[in-house]
Amino acid sequence: MIAFLRKNHLLVGSLFSLLCSITLVAALATGRLRLDPAAMFLLDFMRPFQKAAQATVSWVGGFRDRYIALWGLNEENERLRRRLLELEAERGRFLEAEATNARLRALLELKSSLVSSVSATVIGNSASGWFRSITIDKGSQGGVRKGMAVVTPLGVVGQVTAVASQSSKVLLLTDQNSAVDVIDQRSRAQGIVSGSLEDAAVMKYVKRSEDVQVGDRLITSGLDDIYPKGLPVGVVSRLSKKGYGLFQTVEVTLAANPSRIEEVQVISPLNSRND
Amino acid sequence: MKLFSIFLAVGFLAVLFQTTLLHLLPLGGVVPDLVLVLCVYLGLNHPTVGSVLGAFILGYSVDVFSSPVTGLHAFALSLVFLVVYVSSHWIWVRSPFLSSAVVFFASWIKGTALILLGNLFLARNGLEFAGFLRHIFFDSLAAALLAPIVFFGLSRVKTYLEGSRITF
Repeated sequence: MIAFLRKNHLLVGSLFSLLCSITLVAALATGRLRLDPAAMFLLDFMRPFQKAAQATVSWVGGFRDRYIALWGLNEENERLRRRLLELEAERGRFLEAEATNARLRALLELKSSLVSSVSATVIGNSASGWFRSITIDKGSQGGVRKGMAVVTPLGVVGQVTAVASQSSKVLLLTDQNSAVDVIDQRSRAQGIVSGSLEDAAVMKYVKRSEDVQVGDRLITSGLDDIYPKGLPVGVVSRLSKKGYGLFQTVEVTLAANPSRIEEVQVISPLNSRND
Repeated sequence: MKLFSIFLAVGFLAVLFQTTLLHLLPLGGVVPDLVLVLCVYLGLNHPTVGSVLGAFILGYSVDVFSSPVTGLHAFALSLVFLVVYVSSHWIWVRSPFLSSAVVFFASWIKGTALILLGNLFLARNGLEFAGFLRHIFFDSLAAALLAPIVFFGLSRVKTYLEGSRITF
């Protein structure tokens, strides 16, 4: 036995590694193992190095944007001016709707759903192209907990999946393992927005009979107890209905572009349970 | 011990670059897999118990900064190391083309292992086959193009250490 082990020590060692890996995945995926101390240590250990490297990335990216990507500036400027005028008009209508909303809420004596939030900076991206995640520079010491929602002023970004003392990992909406319950702001059709391998988002489980159109805005429904209701998720960009099946395929352009995020807010409703 | 320290440092830098600097490259979401190339190099040129442990730790490190569940890349890269080690008895990698080919196929093994294990434990709803093939092809191509440079660099470092009297 010992002679066999000595002769095939690499084979045995590799098989043992495979067994340990599968055991770890099974234990974490089924919830039998809740904490991974080694992962938390690694997150905290890499934090200063990632911050330094990300500062370099930001400088290079800024240099590229300021001095190299100057082509088409005039056309982009004109396009942005027109868009600004449209948004100003839209803003006027929203202010009126908000005022009406406030009066009606006061009449019905509804409680407001305030949220607490923690600001954080993105210090790292996913180490693998197979998953979409970011690392932020706030952890349990900063008030971040596993399962909290992560947003930007533009919309939903993802959910916290691992927390160390000074940094955390966020699973992005573009990841295929991610999901957020949404409703169509216009027709109130319901579905689930999830990521895919192609760095895009799709809305699933939308019945063929539901009224969903290209350009419809999708917001969080609040039904998953993770994301507060009403947060922007994205806009419907493409629809397709096969000749059979219960559901239609809806492609979504996300409101917050994950590849351009630098600052995020980690939020949780004040009246929700936190781990 | 010297070589172990060098590989430890290279592994650390590979994970750091994959989470930060390599995302600057305009490759449409594809991140060149330095860690995979390192595992293949270890499997071909340094088949030791330390390298087995190194492949596991590298995969684990990638999991910490990417996967929703730790252990997926640890499994995939341990499997890559095992397959490459077993194949090394029949493969002599002496040219950049061969190193690229080995890394290309190793990337397919890694991707397939990730998808199978992910579908088994993460309760995903099926697999978009076309998307999977497209992603794994470009992922493998990026790693294969990187392989000759990394192999050359590591061989140079190894030759320098063996020929010098540097101590740590």
